Amino acid sequence: MYSIWWRGLMAPLAVAAVAVIAGALEGLAAALVVVAAGAVAIVAWQLWQLAALTRWARGDIEAPVPEGRGVWALAYAALYRRVRMRSARQRDLRLALDRFVSGAEALPEGVVVLDRSDRVEWANPRAEAHLGLDLERDAGAPIVNLVRQPAFISYLSRGDFSEPVVVQSTRETSTTLSIQIVPFGVEERLLMSRDITRLEAVARMRRDFIANVSHELKTPLTVLAGFIETLSDVDLDERQRQRCLALMQDQAKSMQRLVADLLALSALESEQSPAHESEFAVVPLLLAVSADAKALSAGKHEITLTIGDAANVLGGRDELASAFGNLVSNAVRYTPEGGRIALDWRVTPEGGEFSVSDNGIGIATEHIPRLTERFYRVDRSRSRATGGTGLGLAIVKHVLIRHQAELVVDSEPGKGSRFTVRLPARRVKVVREPAEQTSTSKSAAAS
Amino acid sequence: MNEHTYKQFDAEMEEIRSGVMAMGGLVETQLARAIASLRQPDLDQIDAVAADEQAINQMQVNIDQQCTQIIARRQPTAIDLRMVLTTVKIVNELERIGDEIKKIAYKAQQMQRPEGLSTVRLHEITRAAELAEDNLQLALDSFARLDVGAAAQVVSNDEAIDAAFLAILRQLISYMMEDPRTITPALEIVFIAKSIERIGDHAKNIVENVVHVVKGKDVRHATAEEIRAQLGQ
Repeated sequence: MYSIWWRGLMAPLAVAAVAVIAGALEGLAAALVVVAAGAVAIVAWQLWQLAALTRWARGDIEAPVPEGRGVWALAYAALYRRVRMRSARQRDLRLALDRFVSGAEALPEGVVVLDRSDRVEWANPRAEAHLGLDLERDAGAPIVNLVRQPAFISYLSRGDFSEPVVVQSTRETSTTLSIQIVPFGVEERLLMSRDITRLEAVARMRRDFIANVSHELKTPLTVLAGFIETLSDVDLDERQRQRCLALMQDQAKSMQRLVADLLALSALESEQSPAHESEFAVVPLLLAVSADAKALSAGKHEITLTIGDAANVLGGRDELASAFGNLVSNAVRYTPEGGRIALDWRVTPEGGEFSVSDNGIGIATEHIPRLTERFYRVDRSRSRATGGTGLGLAIVKHVLIRHQAELVVDSEPGKGSRFTVRLPARRVKVVREPAEQTSTSKSAAAS
Repeated sequence: MNEHTYKQFDAEMEEIRSGVMAMGGLVETQLARAIASLRQPDLDQIDAVAADEQAINQMQVNIDQQCTQIIARRQPTAIDLRMVLTTVKIVNELERIGDEIKKIAYKAQQMQRPEGLSTVRLHEITRAAELAEDNLQLALDSFARLDVGAAAQVVSNDEAIDAAFLAILRQLISYMMEDPRTITPALEIVFIAKSIERIGDHAKNIVENVVHVVKGKDVRHATAEEIRAQLGQ
C-alpha cells in the first residue's frame, strides 16, 4: 500500500521539484508552465495506461497480462496473480472433468446423453459403435432418427424405463443390444446400451439343447410305444414278433447311447480336469481304437494305423480313448463302403498328434465351425441312419479342452476329411526310438 | 413471413422427418425378418411381416397427409419446398420396399427346398439381401443426417446387387436346363432375387433424392463415378 503512494507520488513530486527550480530561476510564470505541462503529461500517461488495461480486458481471454510501468506495475502484478490462480483452478477442473469423461468413455457399456427433446448431446465410443453414431456429425440429431428400431422408438415414447428394451442392432449384424433409459438432471436422459449377443446365444443354446434332447428321445420312444401297442393288440406270428422285438431293441439301444453320451458330457462339463489323470502308454490305446473301428466297419473299409513314436501320454485314459474312438467311429460312419481310413499317431516338437483321415463325403466349409455343437448335424437323415447321437464331437471337444489339446478339422466336400487332435508337449513323453508299426486290414467284404 | 412462421415450419418438418425415420426403421426391421426367414422359414416372422406391412402403408398415408398440409399451410419455398417434396418421394420408395419385403417373406414361406438346388443359391441370395439391407441403412442414414457422403457407396452397392441378380439368374437357368424338376423352386428364387434387386434400386432412389435436397443436384440415373465427380468426392 505504502509503495503505491510512494510510486504514485514520484511523478507529481518530480514535476513539483522542477517547477520550484524553474520558479526560482525564471519566475512564477515559468513555474506555472512547468506544472501545467507536467500535469498534462501525467494525465496523458495515466490515460494511456488505462487504455492499455481496457484493451487487454476486452481482448482475447487467453491473452497474457501486459506489463505496466510505474504505479501500474503493482496493479498489473496483482492482476497477473489473479489470472494465474484462476487458470490453475481451471486446469484442475478441466483435469477432473477429463477424468470423468475418460471414465465414461472407458465404460464397458454404451452411454449417450440425451437432451430434453431426445437429441444426442454426447456419446462414448462404445455407444457410437453399438448404435452407429458419430458424435462429430450426429451431435444435436434426434436419437430416433438414427436408432430407428420400432421397439426402441415405442420404448422411448412410452416413458416407462423400469425395464430395458432388447433390440437387434442393424449396424453390426447379429448383435443384440439391451438398451435402457435412465432419467437424470432436469428432463435429461442417459441411454445405456449393452451388448447381450453372447447372453442371448447362451440362452438360445440352452433352449435348443432341451428341444433337441426331447426330440432325440421322442423319436425312439414313439417307435417303442407303437410296437408295444402292436404287440399287445395284434396277434402276430413268431417271425413278425421277433422282428418287432429286434426293432424295439434297436430303438432302446439308441436311447441308451444318447443317455450315456449325455451323462458323459455332463460329467465332462462339471469338472475342470480329468478325474483319473495318469501316465499311460498310447500304443495299446491306439490298437484298441483301431480294433474297435475294424469291428464297427465290419470289413467295409480299409483301415490303416500308423504309429510314429511310441509314447506315454499324461491324461485321462478313458476320456482320451472315448475322444479318439468318437473320431474314428465318425470316419467309419461317414465313409462309403470301400473307402480308406487312415489313423496316424506321431510325436512332433509341439506335442502328440493323432489324426483320422478318410476319403469319405467330406464337410462343407460353413459347417466346420459348428461341428462340435451338440446335436449339430450336417445332414440329419444320414446321421441318424448311422446311429449317431449328435453328441460325439461335443464330447471330443470337452475331453480335449480338459487336456489343453485342440481339434483341427480339414475337409473338402467329396474328397474326404481329416480330424487331427493335437496334445500339448507336456502331456507326451517318447518312450523309445521310433518303431514303425503298421497294421492293415484289407477289406474282406463281399461285393 | 416472420421468424415465428419459420420456426413453426422447422418444427413441423422435423416431426415429419422423425415420422419418416420411424417408418424407415420399421422397414429395416421387416427386411431383417425377411432375410431371417430366407435362412430359416419361421411362420411367426412371416405373420409379423404381413402385419407390419399394413402399418407401413398407414404410415405412408399419414406422412403424405402431413406433407400436403405443411405445403398448404406454410407455403414453403426453395430448399424447404424441396425438402417436403423429397420427403413425399422417399416415403413412396419406403412403401414399395415394404411391398417387396412382403413378397420375399411369402415366397420364403412357400418355397420348396429340394436338395442341392436351394442350399447353394440361397446362400448367394442371402448375401445379396444383406447388401440391400446395408444400402437401405446407408440411404436412411443419409436422409437422417442430410449427409451425402454415402451416396456413391449406395450406387455402387446397387450395381453389385444388380450383378449378383444376373449371376443368380444365369446359374438358375443352367439348373433348370439340366433338370426340369427344379423349374418351380428356381422360379420362386428368381422372384425373391428380383425383389431384392428392386429393394436395392429403391434404396438408391432414396439417396438420390437426398442428394437433390442437400446439393440441389439431380443425380438420378448417374453412375457411382459420375456421382463422385458431381459431389466432388
